Amino acid sequence: MDVPVQQVIRPTTVAEALAVLAAQPDARPIAGGTDLMVQLRDGRRRVSCLVDLGNLGLAGIRQLDDGVEIGAATKMDSIAADGGVRRHFPALAAAAGTVGAWPIQCRATLGGNLVNASPAADTAPALLVAGAWLTVVSTAGTRRLGVEEFFVGPARSALMPGELLVSVFLPLTRIPLGCRLVERFVKTGPRREQAISVVSLAGRAVVRADGGLEAVRLALGSVAPTPVRARRVEAVVTGRRPDAVARREAVQALGHDIAPIDDVRATASYRRIAAAVLLDRFLQEASRA
Amino acid sequence: MPERVTVDLTLNGANRTFEVAPGRRLLDLLREDAGLTGTKEGCGAGECGACVVLLDGAPVTSCLVLAASADGHEVVTVEGLQRSSSLHPFQEALVAHGGVQCGFCTPGLAVTGAAALARGPSDADERARLLAGNLCRCTGYLKVLEALERTPSEEADHASP
Repeated sequence: MDVPVQQVIRPTTVAEALAVLAAQPDARPIAGGTDLMVQLRDGRRRVSCLVDLGNLGLAGIRQLDDGVEIGAATKMDSIAADGGVRRHFPALAAAAGTVGAWPIQCRATLGGNLVNASPAADTAPALLVAGAWLTVVSTAGTRRLGVEEFFVGPARSALMPGELLVSVFLPLTRIPLGCRLVERFVKTGPRREQAISVVSLAGRAVVRADGGLEAVRLALGSVAPTPVRARRVEAVVTGRRPDAVARREAVQALGHDIAPIDDVRATASYRRIAAAVLLDRFLQEASRA
Repeated sequence: MPERVTVDLTLNGANRTFEVAPGRRLLDLLREDAGLTGTKEGCGAGECGACVVLLDGAPVTSCLVLAASADGHEVVTVEGLQRSSSLHPFQEALVAHGGVQCGFCTPGLAVTGAAALARGPSDADERARLLAGNLCRCTGYLKVLEALERTPSEEADHASP
């Protein structure tokens, strides 16, 4: 059955798309459509005009001197398979490879996953630990914002009417001699594929030769109104070896970093337990480095 | 009455033009406007894989693709997998290994499997991952995965449209 929209506009330049969005405040951009088409079908979102972003040239991954730039319309499958992303940001590659199943990954875009602003968005924790920057444009100009500022609440982002997310920049980390980078993304759900995460966790740390962790960043999904950094945990484990004592303190701190709720996918108490298990496993893996 | 949009696409190798409603899904264009009823609708929400077709060579759930977005692109349905009168090698393998029972999921599975083969050699984990978006309530998947593993790889090159 058709989805209930009155109009589809297919601009061929970003400028044209922005002009449409400025002129029609109720117009809604559509990229992969893997979230939006379901919301339209179920009547959870009403939109009279869709603006198709498929012809704006916003897909592609560029390796720059100081980082990796990913166009907002880049498909999850391309991100999961990209050599540079896999080498420098393995958590993002892993997360992109767990969004839905393969036919979804061939259609869903990174920008769509972020703009949908689900607390369960798989790529969000990976971008949080990478310290990603988002570039947003409108007819008023361009602005850059940190990914942490982007998530405002469930299904609410910092994107203003008329604005379009065009790219995501992931800065490279300089790894000191004798140290190595550990980065992981893991999620729990009823099934390995095609499942919305019950809890997801991304972790990133520079592991010193003596096993101590530096520059630790941890982020979780599905445990708060937005994807969140676990800053208390980061403070507890940074500069230390993740031994049993440190891991126990980390798990205790985690309880204050997250605020899960009961919903159709899991209870809050299950989420707390699962988050603690994922955190402990990440720290153990980092210690085995 | 909403306006109509023009969709020019390459469908199973032929150039076709359709005038559709703006909210038309690619799935409905294929089944109702093009009469290609091999592609099935299961869940209609991108979860089951019964409606998978190739869009520019990549498997996508056509229930979540706006027909208007397919304008200028290349679509291959299960009807386009076979060459002349012979089935695609993966379809032959599905038959040979008992990977077909009720048949409702088979078109989607055949398309995703053909795309997986076109991607090149892979291990059992990767094959299972690539097919995980195609639900089958009959076979238990083992015979389907066996068929994918046993499809002659030299012929699989034809899978890419």
